[in-house]
Amino acid sequence: MNTNVPAFIQAINDSAVGEWMRHSLKAMPIVEAAHVLAIATVFGTILIVDLRLLGFAGMQRNYRVLSREMLPKTWIAFVAAVITGLLMFAPNAITYYGNTAFRLKMLGLVLAGLNMAAFHLLTERSSGWNGDAKAPTAGRVAAVMSILLWLAIIFLGRWIGFTKGYDFSVPENVEFEF
Amino acid sequence: MFGFANWLGSTALSQAIQSALWLTPLLQGIHIVMIGIVFVSVLMIVLRIHGRVRADEPFVQTWKRFAPWLWSALCVMAVTGIILSIGEPVRQASALSFWLKMSLIVIAVLSVLGLRRAVARVAGPTIPASTRFAATVVLLVWIAIIFLGRAIAYDVEVWGALSLHQA
Repeated sequence: MNTNVPAFIQAINDSAVGEWMRHSLKAMPIVEAAHVLAIATVFGTILIVDLRLLGFAGMQRNYRVLSREMLPKTWIAFVAAVITGLLMFAPNAITYYGNTAFRLKMLGLVLAGLNMAAFHLLTERSSGWNGDAKAPTAGRVAAVMSILLWLAIIFLGRWIGFTKGYDFSVPENVEFEF
Repeated sequence: MFGFANWLGSTALSQAIQSALWLTPLLQGIHIVMIGIVFVSVLMIVLRIHGRVRADEPFVQTWKRFAPWLWSALCVMAVTGIILSIGEPVRQASALSFWLKMSLIVIAVLSVLGLRRAVARVAGPTIPASTRFAATVVLLVWIAIIFLGRAIAYDVEVWGALSLHQA
């Protein structure tokens, strides 16, 4: 029992799912690969929308048509990423909770969510943009923020696997499998 | 093969890649970002063949939009992949997943080009069911490549005795 972590982190760590993931040999590579597939789809579909906002690609199509087509795919992939992410988190919840890269990644996800919400609720509704040509300035800023945040989320995600609970100061006697 | 991998692992270049602790996660990060571009480009091409996206435009327009991104990102993946492999040649050579992945990449690239040719031959607006089925298979091959890529790090767990890792 570790007293430095919140009860819900401890509960996730001790859950049946966590226990199963700790002891199943084949589950982890499959779940990790599914996570890569999910995050790749999230990033790729968001990139299509962001590049359209910036006016870099897909300009022959109206933004509203394009985003209506892409966003459902983004959300399906995001839900898959959350489920597979939780499956990876559960077996080592306490270690991940204290990991700097993990915390920064969660912060990145919150910021990406806020950026998206501000764009959809404020910019998209109030700017009067009809979706032709490139987006107004606020929309292009949101697109740049979105690309940078998702890149940071992907890199931090890979960093978690390398630093585990040690944040790069790995003790001599610990062997890592990447 | 193992002789070559052992030699490669002992070269100064390989040693330099291994000793820069930050380099491997950085390259893998770039590799994953590129998976996003490659996979979603293939996904869009396949979904267009099924008429599920961009049905309002001709296929060739979808192809022109995504094919350059697909090939460019694939080139970046080849570069990051080669540097990563030079850093860990023995682990790569002894992973069954690695050899399966390399074989499937050849098949996947050729089959995407094959889809392009098949659709180009279609007269009229409807793409035949056989081509649509082939497109789904092509998508599954790309998904298999992603799974095999992650499985390289777990070769013994995934393949057991089939793994080329000496026990």
